[in-house]
Amino acid sequence: MTEAILSSVTTVAEKRGNGFWSLAWQRFRDDRVGLVSLVIVAAFLVVVLLSATGLVAGNWNQEVAIHDAPPDLWGLLKPAAPAVVENAMHQEQVTPTAESIEEWKNIEAMLSATVVDPLADTLQALGADHETVAVVKEKRASLPFGGDRWGRDVLSKTIKGSQTSIIVGLSAALLATLLGTVLGALAGYYGGRIDDALNWFYNVFSAIPYLLLILAVAAVLQQRGVTTVILILGLTGWSGVFRLIRAEYIKHRGREYVQAAHAFGVPNRRILFFHILPNVFHVVLVNISILAVGFIKAEVILSYLGFGVKVDEVSWGSMLNDAQGELILGRWWELVAAGGAMALLVTAFSLLTDAMRDAMDPKIQKAS
Amino acid sequence: MTAYIIRRLLQMIPTMLGVVLLLFVLFNWVGGDPAYILAGKMSNEAQIANIRHQLGVDQPAYVQIGIFLKQIVTADFGSSWSTNEPVSDILKTRLGPSLTVMAPLMVLGTLLAIALSLVVARLRRSLTDRTVMVACTVGMSVSILVYIIVFQYVFAYRLGWFPVQGWGDSLWTNLTTFAVLPILIGLCVGLAPDLRLYRSFVLDEIDQDYVRTARAKGLSEMRILWIHVLRNASIPIVTCVMSSLPALLVGSFLIERFFSIPGIGREVLLAVERSDFPVIKAIAVYVAFATMFANLAADLIYKAVDPRVELK
Amino acid sequence: MRLRWDGLKGRAVRRLSMKAMLLSLAWLIFSLAASTEAAPLKVLRMAFQTAETGFDPPRVSDLYSNTVNEAIFERLLTYDYLARPARLIPMTATALPEITDGGKTYTFHLRPGIRFSPDPAFGGKPRELTAADYVYSFKRALDPKLRSPWAFMLEGKIIGLDALAEAAKKSGKYDYDAEVEGLKTPDRYTLQIRLREPDYNFSYIAAHTPFSAVAREVVEKYGDDTMAHPVGTGPYVLKQWTRGARIVLEKNSEYRGRVWDFAASEDGDEELVREMQGKRLPLIDRVEISIIEEEQSAWLAFNRKELDFGGVGSFREQVFDEKKELKPEWRAQGVKLSRAIAPEVTYTFFNFRDPVVGGFSKEKRALRRAIIMAYNRDEEIDVIRKGQAILATMPIPVGVVGHDSRYQPLNAYNPALANKLLDAYGFKKGKNGFRAMPDGTPLLLKFATGTTALERQFNELWKKAMDSIGVRIEFQPGKFADFIKASQACQLQMWGAAWTADYPDGDNFMQLLYGPNTNQSNHGCYESKAFDAFYEASRKLPDSPERNRLFLEMTRQMEVDGAWALGLSRESNTLIRPWVLGYKKHPILSATWVYLDIDTEKAPTKAEAP
Repeated sequence: MTEAILSSVTTVAEKRGNGFWSLAWQRFRDDRVGLVSLVIVAAFLVVVLLSATGLVAGNWNQEVAIHDAPPDLWGLLKPAAPAVVENAMHQEQVTPTAESIEEWKNIEAMLSATVVDPLADTLQALGADHETVAVVKEKRASLPFGGDRWGRDVLSKTIKGSQTSIIVGLSAALLATLLGTVLGALAGYYGGRIDDALNWFYNVFSAIPYLLLILAVAAVLQQRGVTTVILILGLTGWSGVFRLIRAEYIKHRGREYVQAAHAFGVPNRRILFFHILPNVFHVVLVNISILAVGFIKAEVILSYLGFGVKVDEVSWGSMLNDAQGELILGRWWELVAAGGAMALLVTAFSLLTDAMRDAMDPKIQKAS
Repeated sequence: MTAYIIRRLLQMIPTMLGVVLLLFVLFNWVGGDPAYILAGKMSNEAQIANIRHQLGVDQPAYVQIGIFLKQIVTADFGSSWSTNEPVSDILKTRLGPSLTVMAPLMVLGTLLAIALSLVVARLRRSLTDRTVMVACTVGMSVSILVYIIVFQYVFAYRLGWFPVQGWGDSLWTNLTTFAVLPILIGLCVGLAPDLRLYRSFVLDEIDQDYVRTARAKGLSEMRILWIHVLRNASIPIVTCVMSSLPALLVGSFLIERFFSIPGIGREVLLAVERSDFPVIKAIAVYVAFATMFANLAADLIYKAVDPRVELK
Repeated sequence: MRLRWDGLKGRAVRRLSMKAMLLSLAWLIFSLAASTEAAPLKVLRMAFQTAETGFDPPRVSDLYSNTVNEAIFERLLTYDYLARPARLIPMTATALPEITDGGKTYTFHLRPGIRFSPDPAFGGKPRELTAADYVYSFKRALDPKLRSPWAFMLEGKIIGLDALAEAAKKSGKYDYDAEVEGLKTPDRYTLQIRLREPDYNFSYIAAHTPFSAVAREVVEKYGDDTMAHPVGTGPYVLKQWTRGARIVLEKNSEYRGRVWDFAASEDGDEELVREMQGKRLPLIDRVEISIIEEEQSAWLAFNRKELDFGGVGSFREQVFDEKKELKPEWRAQGVKLSRAIAPEVTYTFFNFRDPVVGGFSKEKRALRRAIIMAYNRDEEIDVIRKGQAILATMPIPVGVVGHDSRYQPLNAYNPALANKLLDAYGFKKGKNGFRAMPDGTPLLLKFATGTTALERQFNELWKKAMDSIGVRIEFQPGKFADFIKASQACQLQMWGAAWTADYPDGDNFMQLLYGPNTNQSNHGCYESKAFDAFYEASRKLPDSPERNRLFLEMTRQMEVDGAWALGLSRESNTLIRPWVLGYKKHPILSATWVYLDIDTEKAPTKAEAP
């Protein structure tokens, strides 16, 4: 899919120095949609930074409101009055009658005679016997963006979730692109046996159904958490990049500047990563953003399959899955918050990618 | 040509071997011990050993891989470990429902995407183009999970336009009642990426010299677009469509689960959950074959449409 | 779909010519007349939450396959539909068994004239059920080739049967013709079962669906494919089966029939009795079961009247008012609610061989009991179970023989006390706010967990609980099979499990804590001499006050040792459409449609069903 978009870019991206990038930036500045997208994406990145440093949404895990607190946008201006929530203890379902209390006393006496409790004395000393706990907490009755089933703030969760989701998307995209680029470069540049071996590996990898691959890799990785999600997505998502980069390197290895570098005795390693790579770097760049968008969406599916982030972490995927059955109950806010934030970011990111691609494609400029 | 096809077919053998090896490693070593699932709620060592023996998972790895290879050659994967249903039956019965949803989705999606891409490419940079593209981008940015939940609730439950879930026995009922909403959801999610892609293919062609020549000759804009441009843009489009064909087989497990469609995607999830290795193996092998043949077909079509392409 | 159909019809009619209209009118009158002659079909539409596996009784262990088997096959005994706690009644036997020899010999007399449903395997001849069929079926459960998940219920019980299985493991052939001393048929209709040890629970085994009568001809004809060819003597036959999607059952034409005759035992039963008493079963002509995995899909389908039963599950706000009664809009529709506590208990076990939480030292007892006291089950019930569960106070749940509602648990929710207890035994808090072991080594709990959304919610609650006492907890995700394997090898530190009664007797639950069941069902590898002594004493007794006392002692012992964090018993709330008559959730029986009727006048027409 993606290679086709990119092929249009690469055809024109041969001779270029600094002029190419500054020209691209000039073109980009004229693209209003692109600029707006850039601002939105940048805003999200700022949010990620703020939340990663704990400046905002640090307390997302706290139960600040009652269970399933409804949203109340006015609350932004005027916080709702706290509701007193008694952490009700309904240990005893039926109120015991005097008779049953008496009976229980007899049974208890019988039990303590036959069953030895080594901790009995300690517990006695700690005053365990008749202490009843009634925790009274003050909680808010509503929140600006509503609360989840535990009474956690959906807004904080969405912010914290954007941190996780964006980091997952970007890191996994970087990982996949790195893998794909290195393998693709090696295969494309050296050809021969190396190419055969890597191509074989690529074929095997892409022949196995993606769903099975994900389930299998997830089973191998066991431990869950953000890192695992990144690994699952990154390790299974590199094949597209591999094909593209390999094709690019095959094209470039015959070019004059590569031949010349050879003649000067520049080592292969240098040619690979310092001579050719800058010339195909725009492909890599566009690819990272396309993959990032895909992975942010894929994280939702991973969460659905139960391979999402840990319980003390939150992501858009985990929020959407938590909120799955709540729409029917009229509790739309978590679904809307997470789904909306994701849609906004992904839209902006995709449009930004388009703008980037257009900016790096002088053909389009010429035509209009 | 024949030599090329033969060589490509031969190349499939090492790929298949790789698939076998990878599958075996992934699922036999880390995929959970099926014996403990089959043993039920209470089991002891002797029972587990007995079950492992019955399944043949107590044999050395090379024997098991040998059996696996034999199964591929004979196309007989035995029976499911958990339900005892012959694997061939599982594939036969689950493929239909998956295809009932995915095939119309594919055809509709491709046709719509092509038509729209020609229209918007012609109006490039106009307000219409921009609006359609941004709308499409927004459309594809919403998670499929959100689409399913919201559409099922609104269109099926609230408005009652479609059944909430279910599957019938006749192809016609399935196509006209049960598959409609799933296809609609599929279009929402899948149309935009296709459209964006095809638009870029069309844009590549629309600036070519032959288009200018055709215009100079006074050919109608419609003719230029639908005949000349489309023919040339169809090469990458065909490649794209071919490469997404194997996905038809697995279907979308999310859609299948929410709408209770007895398709392959749901079966894959179930099989992995139950560590039902025969089913996993069979589905993976068939999809692998489908992928390889689709790739070969794509290359051949490429050649047929554009004789300049050299097959090597 | 109804809307759409009507629309189409309307358009079609307008286009018809006069003649065609008259013709169609005539046809309409004719078909109306015809339809009044035949009684409308009584069709029940229901859903299963997970896919079935197949219909060979001893081979399947999942609830839903068992449910279908329950209606197709018959046991010697079954349960009274209304009696609570559940009570055994005869099914194919003429009466409850004669138990002699101090609980070691069971004699059943079969009703003559019971027939299997017709099948090609019988060569077109009627096939009568005899005592030999039960001998064959019991033997079958231990056939190593069959790898029955229910073998454990018979293993070590019937004289001579284990030897047969042993011999088969060596020779590779299970000899069904061999005489087994403990399984005798003195005549065609008499079955005599002799046990190695006294066992007062064997009658329950005779009522257990996996030990239903199957016919040898059928098994031998279909060989490996028995899962798809259920042939029994029960009221229903399998009509159509699309695996994992749709199961259709229809009345068994050969079924001898049975009269609905049960006495009320609880409030509200009178109405059922009035509706159903004296009717000849089965009454439902056709049962259509769809497999609907997603809760949302099933709930919406019930709301759209595509299903006759609806599980309330997560959707309590839509169903209950503040007092947990049906909301008026449901009552206005005539929808009924059936509420019952499941005979099950959830629990989280500690591995007694684990270096961190295991062992019987005072410190480790204190640690375990503090962990138990920190977990807020009320919140689990309220938030996760949506108010539809009750606290478990004993390992034996409500409604099961041996449960004592007076018992008050020792380790009730009390995080303040839990903290004090940990302080007292030297689990000191470090700088990071988390406690260390008394010897200064780090304290980290490893909790096994699956990958479902529900399990994620439990983990959230456990994390909260452990944070409240400063104990670090980590969740180890994995597959069910791997956890079973690890726990049987005593390598799983903590895991949440649930046990549903196979039969309504306390023994079925207490065996989960019996020392020698380690590596089997005792997943916590809890080996307490005191507990085992109580348990062994209870095995020798029939249901009696002495045995109940032992159950109490076992419970207290388990609590003192901190073996389990007891969880809860779920409450099932089922909504029933008004045309379904006679429904009441049974604790053990699950194929309740056998006892139901449908009021065809209230039922929606099936016109839209293609």
